[in-house]
Amino acid sequence: MEANQNVRSPLEDQLYIWRIRLEIWWQNFRNFVKALSVHPLALAGGILVILYLLSAVFADQITVHNPIQGNLRIRHMPPAWEDGGSWEYPLGTDSQGRDLFTRIVYGSRISLSVGILSVGISVIVGILLGTLAGYFGGRFDSFVSRLADLLLAFPFLIFAIGVMAFLGPGFTNLILALTFKGWVEFFRLVRGEMLAEKTKEYVEAARVTGQGHVAIMLKEILPNIIQSVFVLGTLRMGYMIITEASLSFLGLGLPPNIPAWGSMVAAGRDSLLVAWWVSTLPGLAILFLVMAINLFGEGLRDILDPRLKLEG
Amino acid sequence: MRGIKILERVLGTIPIMFGVAIIVFFFIRLTPGDPVDIMMGQGGSISAGELENLREEFHLNEPLHIQLWYFLRDAAQGDLGYSYVLKQPVTALIGERLPATIELALGALIFSLLVAFPIGVISAVRQNSWLDRLSMSTAFLGISMPGFWLGIILILLFSVQLHWLPVQGRIKLGTGLEQHTGYFVLDSILTGNMEALKSSLLHLVLPSVTLGAPVAAVIARVLRSSMLETLRSDYVTLARSKGVAEWWVVIKHALRNAMIPTVTVVGLQVGILLGGNMVIETVFGWPGLGRMVVKAIFDRDFPLIQGAVMIYAFTFVMANLIVDVMYTYLNPRIRLG
Amino acid sequence: MNSNTPLLEVNKINSVFPSGDKIVRAVNDVSFTLNEGEILGIVGESGCGKSTMLLSLLRLIRYPGKVESGEIRFRGDDLLQMSNSQMRAMRGKEIAMIFQDPLSTLNPAFTVGEQIRESLRLHNIVGNSNAPWPFDRVQREQEKQRVLQIMEEVGIPSPMDRYASYPHQFSGGMQQRTLIAIALACNPKLLLADEPTTALDVTIQAQIMNLMKQINQERGTAIILVTHDLGLAAEFCDRIAVMYAGRIVEQGTVDEIVETPRHPYTQGLLNCRPRIGERQQTIRPIDGNVPSLANLPNSCAFASRCSFVKDVCNEGPIPLFETEHGHLNRCLLTSDYKRLPEWDWDSIVEQERAQ
Repeated sequence: MEANQNVRSPLEDQLYIWRIRLEIWWQNFRNFVKALSVHPLALAGGILVILYLLSAVFADQITVHNPIQGNLRIRHMPPAWEDGGSWEYPLGTDSQGRDLFTRIVYGSRISLSVGILSVGISVIVGILLGTLAGYFGGRFDSFVSRLADLLLAFPFLIFAIGVMAFLGPGFTNLILALTFKGWVEFFRLVRGEMLAEKTKEYVEAARVTGQGHVAIMLKEILPNIIQSVFVLGTLRMGYMIITEASLSFLGLGLPPNIPAWGSMVAAGRDSLLVAWWVSTLPGLAILFLVMAINLFGEGLRDILDPRLKLEG
Repeated sequence: MRGIKILERVLGTIPIMFGVAIIVFFFIRLTPGDPVDIMMGQGGSISAGELENLREEFHLNEPLHIQLWYFLRDAAQGDLGYSYVLKQPVTALIGERLPATIELALGALIFSLLVAFPIGVISAVRQNSWLDRLSMSTAFLGISMPGFWLGIILILLFSVQLHWLPVQGRIKLGTGLEQHTGYFVLDSILTGNMEALKSSLLHLVLPSVTLGAPVAAVIARVLRSSMLETLRSDYVTLARSKGVAEWWVVIKHALRNAMIPTVTVVGLQVGILLGGNMVIETVFGWPGLGRMVVKAIFDRDFPLIQGAVMIYAFTFVMANLIVDVMYTYLNPRIRLG
Repeated sequence: MNSNTPLLEVNKINSVFPSGDKIVRAVNDVSFTLNEGEILGIVGESGCGKSTMLLSLLRLIRYPGKVESGEIRFRGDDLLQMSNSQMRAMRGKEIAMIFQDPLSTLNPAFTVGEQIRESLRLHNIVGNSNAPWPFDRVQREQEKQRVLQIMEEVGIPSPMDRYASYPHQFSGGMQQRTLIAIALACNPKLLLADEPTTALDVTIQAQIMNLMKQINQERGTAIILVTHDLGLAAEFCDRIAVMYAGRIVEQGTVDEIVETPRHPYTQGLLNCRPRIGERQQTIRPIDGNVPSLANLPNSCAFASRCSFVKDVCNEGPIPLFETEHGHLNRCLLTSDYKRLPEWDWDSIVEQERAQ
């Protein structure tokens, strides 16, 4: 080692590069956390989302009742703070005598996994197609862009309902229905950014130094786009969850006995006059989750990418 | 110049419409099974001979692209197929339900514009006032809220608790409204039936508010942020330096320019109106297109679903065409190149 | 109105912007007078408060900023005491303003002709029928004729064709002419020009400045020209006030400022100016930056950048000394101020009062 101190092995070079990268990431992460701490609403949203995630993961530990099997003798029991309520069933029971709190906790599994999976797949498909289309252009680009334009001609919920109608209910079908159109926005974002980035000097420099296309796309350009994608993904997740809830509400989402918030609201409508809580409380769970995600997402946008303007 | 730009946009919708029809055509391929069985839905049992006739009629023995060609040709002629469940042409079924849906959608659109515009403008002018904070918090709630849940809350509050507004349907039974156009508000004005007018308007309130609330929230937010931008612009200072009164500066100089980005968003929100339509019609038992489609899904009445999805998409495309034209009109930079 | 009354008499105005927990003092104790038909140049680096000072005169500082104290007497009447509607009647009619960036200042949504006509209508310059919108065709037509005439005057070629153009279809020079036309529409007594040529090419600059000079001579319109370009001000103005960090540091005739500058800052500005025709010149930039307007020192604000600085400069507020008749200078060292043997700030103030 001492003999040739100035000559480093390729492995050492790689280690050195990765050490620098890790330091930069760590620094970025710390800056992000610092920025988040001056955004109290975004922080609150983030914490609430984490609470939801925890309750979804540890649903078995949090709840004591069976979410599917009820006891008809205790049906329509009001929440604990109302007359006739009991802390055994803190949010009351539904028309089949199932504990509402248990069902809401289990419902978070559906909403969160649908939200995360549908956005995740949309992001992956969008990045893949958007990168290729934006970087290479040509016929592939014009084909995918046309397809994206066509899909944009459908209102999101209508398209999802139409697809679900033909696919039939089920978890996989739900994810499919949401991603069939969900990738379009990410595709457009990535493609647009790609077109803008690829003419910049640093890409030119990378090309001159002899890097391959894949290396340029993955190592040079993508890191500059990924923040915008992340922000858009967070903001879309709330909308995906609302869409899933709407589909479940219409009975087009999952099979009826699975506790999804949307179908719980729908089921409670029949007993609205005698048991208001059955319908309204699961809806409140949706509202809080989506609000938390949106608060976090908008904070994220302010911190990471203020010029990204998204509505709808 | 303006005419050419508009014509260009109108012509540009034609390939989109065809593309939409093609995508909808392939919907049926998502369902595993024999297309005739699927098309028949739960329309009843038929013999093998009849099945073969149907195959002929639908050109199902032809290759796929020929089938597509027939589908597109029929669609272009306004023939969206036949519902075997309801034993009627799809176009007739949709035409029958469309007025109710349009009435509701217009109600929601009017509600959202009436609410969003004053709120957006005042929030921007009085930025960071309690009014601004309150309306923007409400708007944030509005974009995070599932529409069907809001509908149920409103029913609980205004119908069940306060008994102010009706829960379900379009009109009270026994008002004796003669139907001419299918738009109950218009019909009752035409026939001078005051009782029917009052009832149909009252029935419109909750569904319109429910459907319009998220739209209003988005428009108010966008309008506020673009107003904040235009209110800071140099031309607003110029207008003030000319001696223009403050409210007129806001309306004429700032709002006029803030409309440009807002209009685009209004166009996109029509998609939310149309999509929400199915859900909200179900919540309020509104006898429109949306409820018919939801029922058709459970009946597996696929031609009807295809036709309706196509109509929704066409409406959305047309709405965005109108928005494009308005945008061109509002923004001279686009209009005159 | 007395004929000796100056057109504009600005007396110790202070404009402030609250920013966070600090107060940005953009204009500090600024006083000057302007006679009918006179051209006053206000010169200073960017961020020294000159634009804010100009907006203060029209009471157009954006909320939450405001003119905290002082007097702005226009023909004897204090603008700061007027009601909002009285003030609106002054804007555009008596005092008009020309802005820095013509493209962003013209409203993109309205035609050029429409924007000039708006000024006429606001102050009922042509006709006075007060008919509401669809019934005002006669008045509108008269106004249009007047607009065409003004467009001609400011040098917009073929105004008939340009009336219905939109701002983005104009070149920068034409846009600035349009802004001048808007300002001139009501034939104001005072024109406030905020860097009117900064965004333009040099040749266009000269045209615009000539146009303004012509307006000044033909109509007798008084002009306040705000600029960072001392050379431009020297060519164009009768008198110059040099502003630094929200205060006027030197004021005098063009000759006094250019030939015998007193304040080290003015001298610095003159040294940074390249001159065409002198080959061996040295351009000496002023070191350092303008101090933040949020925490200005009570004493000389230029002290940190001044090469002649003495201890006394940092001891307290420096008054504006009158070194010759009409030549004001805010500097202890370069004023012909007789120091008292026992130096203290109270005596300076007394001395000031005595003069």
